[in-house]
Amino acid sequence: MAGATTNGHLVELESVTKRFGDNVVLDGVDLTIDRGQAVVVAGPSGSGKSTMLRCINGLETIDEGDVRFDGTSVASAGKGIYALRAEMGMVFQQFNLFPHKTVLQNITLGPMQVKGLSEEDAKARATKLLERVGIPEKAKSFPADLSGGQQQRVAIARALAMEPKLMLFDEPTSALDPEMIREVLDVMRDLAREGMTMIVVTHEMGFAREVCDRIVFIDDGKIVEDAPPNEFFTQTKSDRAKEFVDKIIHH
Amino acid sequence: MGEFWGVLERYFPEFVSGFFVTLRLVGISFAIAMSVGVVIAAFRVTPAKWVQRIGGTYVEIFRNIPLLVLLFILFYGLPSEVQFSRVTAGALGLGLYTAAYVGEAVRSGVFAVGQGQIDASLSLGFSYRDTLRRVVLPQAVRTVIPPLGSLFIAMTKNSAVIGGALQVQDLMMKARGISADTFQTNEAFFWAAVGYLLITVSLTFVVRNLETRLAIRR
Repeated sequence: MAGATTNGHLVELESVTKRFGDNVVLDGVDLTIDRGQAVVVAGPSGSGKSTMLRCINGLETIDEGDVRFDGTSVASAGKGIYALRAEMGMVFQQFNLFPHKTVLQNITLGPMQVKGLSEEDAKARATKLLERVGIPEKAKSFPADLSGGQQQRVAIARALAMEPKLMLFDEPTSALDPEMIREVLDVMRDLAREGMTMIVVTHEMGFAREVCDRIVFIDDGKIVEDAPPNEFFTQTKSDRAKEFVDKIIHH
Repeated sequence: MGEFWGVLERYFPEFVSGFFVTLRLVGISFAIAMSVGVVIAAFRVTPAKWVQRIGGTYVEIFRNIPLLVLLFILFYGLPSEVQFSRVTAGALGLGLYTAAYVGEAVRSGVFAVGQGQIDASLSLGFSYRDTLRRVVLPQAVRTVIPPLGSLFIAMTKNSAVIGGALQVQDLMMKARGISADTFQTNEAFFWAAVGYLLITVSLTFVVRNLETRLAIRR
């Protein structure tokens, strides 16, 4: 804990290696993220972006190295991992809302069961969050009655209801129809402006350029580029990232 | 036709009392089968291998012993310190027996719940156990409502074994008694059949209703 308060790093990855069988997905990744930073993680599919995100909240175990969140090792947290995860919100490509619960219940479940909030307080918090993501009228609906964009905004509200220190976004707009991408990115942009620390795996380079503090480019399990957006787009160092930027900007 | 009505009229209180005993047997068995069955399903999908094995062993034992044998063991076979009443032993036997099937049905429903649901629940800070309890099993049970309905209809009919086996005055035993008194076998069992139909057909409606109300739309 002491480490976190002195150096300000919220997330630290130290030579993290992750294998699926013989396949090395993360190959000695070092990365630190400070409080209040919004970091976009980009890279070709299969490069290890999502896996890195999942290693940060312990949904994947790592084979070597260490992941620290707020000064505490995620890798060796044991049962303490549950408490750590409660401080990290995660938003998934496929939304993963609980289909058997209403929108409101989706948002109140965590605060009530994990954090022990009263139903009244949890509902009040959920209602506020639904207003914030722009769909207060959907509180009583079921996820299946919502559009993809609305579902993803509920998923963001669900994660925020835990009052996390960090938000992880795993390709949050990749499963959305184009006209719905904007509404989700707007919510994320507001979050970043309010100072939320966030790590966003995305192909939305417009969002990266406009909103984030750093772009981390991963290829083949290694971080090959880590720069502010301006620098990333204009002075791309590695060939692989150059190729990626060309493709994504000019497609 | 007059004979049918005659038997019903004369023995109406008997039929009714048997009907309610059967209803009680079915009610208690249902509660046992449902709660034990869901726990067994949870055991079978837990990561810990030894817990899985407990669940597996339960299913193998209770699914593979004939209900009648199970009932005899529970009433006549246990040491005298654990002596159940006839109704309790009957309902317990039928409930534990049906729980094995419920466990298997719910387990199959668990596989219909995607990994994404588990990820989402874990990411909120739920333990694996709470994830199972609050996210996975409620969805699994909803998914398998139709097969569960069939199971409980079968269970209702299986309850007819209890009366004869353990001398419980359920609908079936009442019909046997009335048939022996009057030699009007057809009439006596006709009304017993009607009694069972009342329960099973209502069950069918309940299941259909639950299905439309609780079905998960993905």
